[in-house]
Amino acid sequence: MSDVVLQQYLAVGAILFVIGLIGFMTRRNLIVLFLSTEVMFQGVAINFVAFSRYYAGLDGQVFVIFLLVIAAAEASLALGLIVLLFRRRLTLDVDAWRELKG
Amino acid sequence: MSVVASVIFGSLALGASVVPPIVVLVLCIVAGVGTVMLLPGRKERSIRKIGGALLLVVFLVFVALLVRQEAMKGATQVYFWLFSGIAVMSAMRVISHEKPVYSALYFVLTVVATAGLFVLLWAEFVAAALILIYAGAILVTYVFVIMLAQQVERVGKVTVGAEYDRHSREPVLASAVGFVMMGLILFLIFDGSAATNLAGVKANVGVQGTTKQVGEYVFIRQTVSLEVAALVLTVAMIGAVIIARRQVPETRAVDPGRVAVQDDDPHNVPVYGTENPRAKAYPER
Repeated sequence: MSDVVLQQYLAVGAILFVIGLIGFMTRRNLIVLFLSTEVMFQGVAINFVAFSRYYAGLDGQVFVIFLLVIAAAEASLALGLIVLLFRRRLTLDVDAWRELKG
Repeated sequence: MSVVASVIFGSLALGASVVPPIVVLVLCIVAGVGTVMLLPGRKERSIRKIGGALLLVVFLVFVALLVRQEAMKGATQVYFWLFSGIAVMSAMRVISHEKPVYSALYFVLTVVATAGLFVLLWAEFVAAALILIYAGAILVTYVFVIMLAQQVERVGKVTVGAEYDRHSREPVLASAVGFVMMGLILFLIFDGSAATNLAGVKANVGVQGTTKQVGEYVFIRQTVSLEVAALVLTVAMIGAVIIARRQVPETRAVDPGRVAVQDDDPHNVPVYGTENPRAKAYPER
C-alpha cells in the first residue's frame, strides 16, 4: 500500500485556486465574488496543510488557523459593506460601481 | 509562449515527469473551453450541460493518467480521489451556478471535502475548525446577506436570477488566463526535472495535528500571533458594527415613530425607551 504523494495535494490546491480566480474574474454578483475568494482560500489552505505534513512542522496548520481568523474578519467586514452598497444602488451588480474605475 | 514551449519540450526530453506536460496542456485547453461553455451567459442550457460534461471528462482523464502510475494506487488513494473530486466539482458549481444561494450551498460541500482532505493529512483540529468556522459561521452570514440583498425576476411562472447573475463578464478571457496559469502550476508540480523536485518527498510521521500538539504549538511558540489575531477579530467586529449602522439615504426601513439617525456621532443614536437622544438614562456628558 502506498501513500498519497505531495504532488497530488498541491495539484488539488492549484486547481481550486484557479477555479476561484476564474470565478472572481467572471462573475458580476458581489456576493459570488467573495465566495470565489473563499474558494481560493481553500486551495491555499490545502497547500499549507500538505506542506506541514510532508515537511516536519506544525507551522502550516497554525497558519491555516490564522487564515481562518482573517477569513472571518474579512467576511464580516465585506458583507457589511455589501449590504451598504446594496442599499445605495439597490443592485448587487459590480458594474453599477463602474465609475470607480477612474 | 517561448517559456511555455521550452518547459514543455525540456521536460519531454528528460521524461522525468509523472504526467506528460503536453497532455497537461491539452487537458487545460479543453477544460478552459468547457469552463467558457459552463459559465452563465447568453446561451442555451444544453451548451452549459455540454460544458459540464466536458469538464467532467477532463478531470476523469487527468485522474486516470495519475492512477496509471504505480505510486498512486492504494487504500488511502480512494479517499483522496473521492474528496478531491467532490471539492473540485462543487467549486466549479460555486462559480457557475446562476443562483447565489446554491453557490453558497455548493461552497459548503467544498469546505466539507477540504476538511476530509485535511483529515487524510492528519490535521484533525484544523479540519474541525474549518467546518465549524466556514460551514457554520461564515456561510450563515453569507446566506443572511443573500436573503437581505438578493433580487429575482419573474419570467412567466418561473423565477430566474437577476440579469447580472445570468450573464458572466468576459468568460473567454478569464478562462484563458486562469487555465494558462493552472497549466504552468501543474507543469511545475509534476516536473521531475525542475529545481523544485517534489516527487521524492515522503510524509513525515512525526507531525500530527491533534488538538494537544496544535494547542501547545500555538500557545507556546506563536503567542504574539495569537494575541494579534484576537486584536484583528475585535477590530473587525467593531468595524462591522460601525459600517452596518451607517445610514444610507435610500433606506426604506424608516419607522416614523423613531428619531432618524443623522450621522455617525454616537450621541445621536436613539436609545431604547427615549425619544430624545440627548435625554439618555445614563448621560455621557
